Amino acid sequence: MSSEAATADATTEVPEGHDDHGHDEHGHNDHAHPSYLAHHFDTPQQQFDAAKVGMWAFLVQELLFFSGIFVAYGIFRSWYPEMFSAAAHQLDRPIGAGNTIVLLVSSLTAALAVREAQLGRKAGTSRYLLLTILCALIFLGVKSYEYNHKFQAGLLPGHFYHPHLHHLVEGSPALPENAHIFYSIYFMATGIHAIHILVGIGVLTWIWRRNERGDFSKEYYAGVDIAALYWHLVDLVWIYLFPLLYLID
Amino acid sequence: MSDSHHAAADDGMIHSHVEPVSHYLKIFSGLIFFTLVTVGLSYVHLGAMNLAIAILIASVKATLVVVFFMHLRHDNKFNATIFICGLMFIGVFFAYTTNDTARRENEINDVSGNHVYLGESEKHAPGGFEPPKRIVEGAKEKPEGTTKSEHH
Repeated sequence: MSSEAATADATTEVPEGHDDHGHDEHGHNDHAHPSYLAHHFDTPQQQFDAAKVGMWAFLVQELLFFSGIFVAYGIFRSWYPEMFSAAAHQLDRPIGAGNTIVLLVSSLTAALAVREAQLGRKAGTSRYLLLTILCALIFLGVKSYEYNHKFQAGLLPGHFYHPHLHHLVEGSPALPENAHIFYSIYFMATGIHAIHILVGIGVLTWIWRRNERGDFSKEYYAGVDIAALYWHLVDLVWIYLFPLLYLID
Repeated sequence: MSDSHHAAADDGMIHSHVEPVSHYLKIFSGLIFFTLVTVGLSYVHLGAMNLAIAILIASVKATLVVVFFMHLRHDNKFNATIFICGLMFIGVFFAYTTNDTARRENEINDVSGNHVYLGESEKHAPGGFEPPKRIVEGAKEKPEGTTKSEHH
């Protein structure tokens, strides 16, 4: 595919656009082939649909990946319902609910970023992408505040578990010996989720830069759409994690 | 139905289905509403129903996100098929695992025991577990770990 090869041997097929003298039988001259359309796709619609199918396959893989922790949760909670209830009292419901709302706002702004991109409005897309990233940073900030409390109180996974009474929530039920199982699940679930938030921040920042560079248009905004799909998935997982971890009666 | 949309202008270009901003705001307010409802209900003691209601509300919220924010409603139906198949496989995962763990206790434990210990130490091996006791006694007692690890 290199241009050196093309110039070295003029009789062989050269990349389209480089030849002005009649290679009309070349398939790509049959219709407009805009710069954003990859060589191996016929139409922008086909390219967009292919990207979306690939993303949905990836998202399903992500769900199956997260389902491991949900299955562990289901089994252990059915075994030790009282322990889950006692251990969950150490989590702060208003903070968790606030963080849920922050994530829902970020999902809204991500959806609006896609809408702006569909309309070909570059500035609007950038603005909503930045708002989404801001929400993601707020979420991580709150999460680290919560983690800090867990570390101070010694509410840690497995054999790191060593609760300090005076750091525990006042008036909360006594923690059973096996409460470390709950915190193992808590840290694994929220930790993997937080890693996804970090990756999401990276992806959204990259898409924001590409948008600023002028890569996207009304006709081509697959990058924005797909980054938003990833972001909605992160939100989706949290929609289940929040009630399962924080709202145990 | 993306197919019917694109059938109108089958030129291979992208014809986005642009929803008004109010549409997204409606979905968003629904999500906030259900979040507040689920937090509120968590303070009401309904026994086992609490978990069922929490999962039901979470599923309603998840459906709103998937159908409207992630555009599955107007997307190619193949993407929805991929997604639903994924959910079914999560069901398979749950079914096989609960089946396994539920039977382990009765059939294996009664014969030979399935406690997994780390050699000479009394600690459980990582990955090993103590079979559940049917009555959880810990909730009312003073936690053992709390007294011995007070080093402040």
